[in-house]
Amino acid sequence: MFSNEKNSAAKLWFVTAVFWLLLGMSLGLTTAIKQISPDFLNYQITTYGHIRSSHVMLVIYAWLSMAYVASMLYMIPKLARTTLYSEKLGNVSAVLYNIVMLEGFVSLLMGQTSVIEYGEFPVWVDVQVILVLVLVAHNIFKTIAQRQEKVLYVSIWYFLGSLLWLPLTYIIGNLPASWYPSGTEQALAGWFLGHNAIGLWMTTVGVGQIYYLLPKLTGRPLYSHELSMIGFWTIATFYVWNGPHHLMNGPVPGWILKAGIIPSLLLLIPVWTVFHNFFATMKGAWHKVKDDVTLRFVVAGSIFYLMACIQGPLQALPSVSSLVKFTHWTVGHAHMGPLGAFSFTSFAAGYYMIQQITGNEFWSKKLQEAHFWFSTIGFLLFSFSLWTAGIIQGFAWIEGKSFLDTVLMVRPYVIARAIGGTMLIAGQFLFAFNIYKTFKAKQSSVVSEGNAVATA
Amino acid sequence: MEKKPSLVLLVAFTLFIVGVIGTVILPYFDGEINEPTANAEARNYKVDSAEARGREVYIQNGCQTCHTQFVRSVQADINQNLGPATAGGDYKYDLPHLMGSNRTGPDLMWVGTRWNESWQRQHLIDPQSTSPGSIMPSFAYLSEQEMKDLIAYLMSLKPADAKPK
Repeated sequence: MFSNEKNSAAKLWFVTAVFWLLLGMSLGLTTAIKQISPDFLNYQITTYGHIRSSHVMLVIYAWLSMAYVASMLYMIPKLARTTLYSEKLGNVSAVLYNIVMLEGFVSLLMGQTSVIEYGEFPVWVDVQVILVLVLVAHNIFKTIAQRQEKVLYVSIWYFLGSLLWLPLTYIIGNLPASWYPSGTEQALAGWFLGHNAIGLWMTTVGVGQIYYLLPKLTGRPLYSHELSMIGFWTIATFYVWNGPHHLMNGPVPGWILKAGIIPSLLLLIPVWTVFHNFFATMKGAWHKVKDDVTLRFVVAGSIFYLMACIQGPLQALPSVSSLVKFTHWTVGHAHMGPLGAFSFTSFAAGYYMIQQITGNEFWSKKLQEAHFWFSTIGFLLFSFSLWTAGIIQGFAWIEGKSFLDTVLMVRPYVIARAIGGTMLIAGQFLFAFNIYKTFKAKQSSVVSEGNAVATA
Repeated sequence: MEKKPSLVLLVAFTLFIVGVIGTVILPYFDGEINEPTANAEARNYKVDSAEARGREVYIQNGCQTCHTQFVRSVQADINQNLGPATAGGDYKYDLPHLMGSNRTGPDLMWVGTRWNESWQRQHLIDPQSTSPGSIMPSFAYLSEQEMKDLIAYLMSLKPADAKPK
């Protein structure tokens, strides 16, 4: 039942990830519509809170994380000059992970939530998430152990670290509520998870993807291996300390907040290393961006990553936080990393892998172009409207306007956000259709080759 | 190190643990956030009381995805008259915590001081009738028992020294 064919595991993880991408983003759009028209789909199962929670959990742990696993299953054997330790195990774990995500989705719709943001699945689902992640990590560590290439390319460093950090981070934030000595302690552990799901998983695997794809797509070697190492170790050192800035100006003592602010600012170091490396590698290859959609997604994703990382440390400052915290700004910022930066690099990884696996170009270059422009323009419209709405709201609260007034005054921006979101989703449906057609074309070419051989 | 994945993992693990100790374990020893305040005691609901059941209704219907329970001593919260800034110890028994991260709706930390039961019921059933233009959905689908419990919970959200109504 489970295939042992080369790259079949990477393919299964990615194709099913795209299914969750469509579902997860549709839930996001539903959330956006409900903020305009609260009666839209207002039943107990599909009440606002259930849809929003499912959206957050599915885009992160289903779509993005599964696209990440697919990327690692494909890229690591290449970098290690070996084959995947077990394609069969890779396929089995893909099926199991899909089942676990479905369980998580259903339990959120039924109102079972452990409340912690980025850790909302109930404990019985969390346990299964960890078990499947351990299967994946086992498969990848075994692959690295049997490598023919002794020197570890920087992407492998990032992947190794991420596979260690994600399960640990996930456990720290997801312990049963009664195990924490107080709500404030739980909030610290919860934001440890909330921030490091981004910092030590989404960012680190995403940067690994960038470092893999950039040399492949530009045909130029990575500018500096040392610089990427500095980036890796500074992320490993400083990112873990960032959780407390989510409780800025809140109910925790000053020393904890300072322990959160200073590392947040120091994060500019790894961001700078990625950027210097990025621009120096791209030098002389910029003309390729015009024709190569895959490379263009890497470039756009990297630029959104820079933007997210300029916002992040600033928002960790008490003064800036006191204006933007709890407003729409936060939501705009929260989409920068997982969507703008790392969904984009994952789209690029998907295009690259599928072309390599099938040995064919994509079915439609026009659809690829449309996917890029719908995604980029949609995302910019989406995020700029939320940032603007957030700043308006922040100042209106300071002026002491009634809360309801501050909701009504940002309505045009909330509508613009939904329009941007609609464009984004339209782009993803084109992406999915293009993938389907590309595999279909491959299948029929294999069949006709088979017939040709048979009749010869 | 470039040839030793186990060493990379070991150092990565060590740095991770240092961060966990700094931001998750050390706060455990800080009395300021772990000593219950009077407000915390006021929210230490008895098992299966209406308030405790109402808190479950609040969680199951995702109220925390739109409403914070987190008042800061910053201009925005002071000028919005949200009530006293919350202290770490206020959340001693608030498990899972409901601090939230986004105010799609207003903060509810001390909402029990702002409205009475009948307003809450009317607002939950038909938000437009009390707050025209509101983007809160109706919770008319709740059972009578759930509605009663939820209102009891909301009404309990007030400072310990607030005058009883």
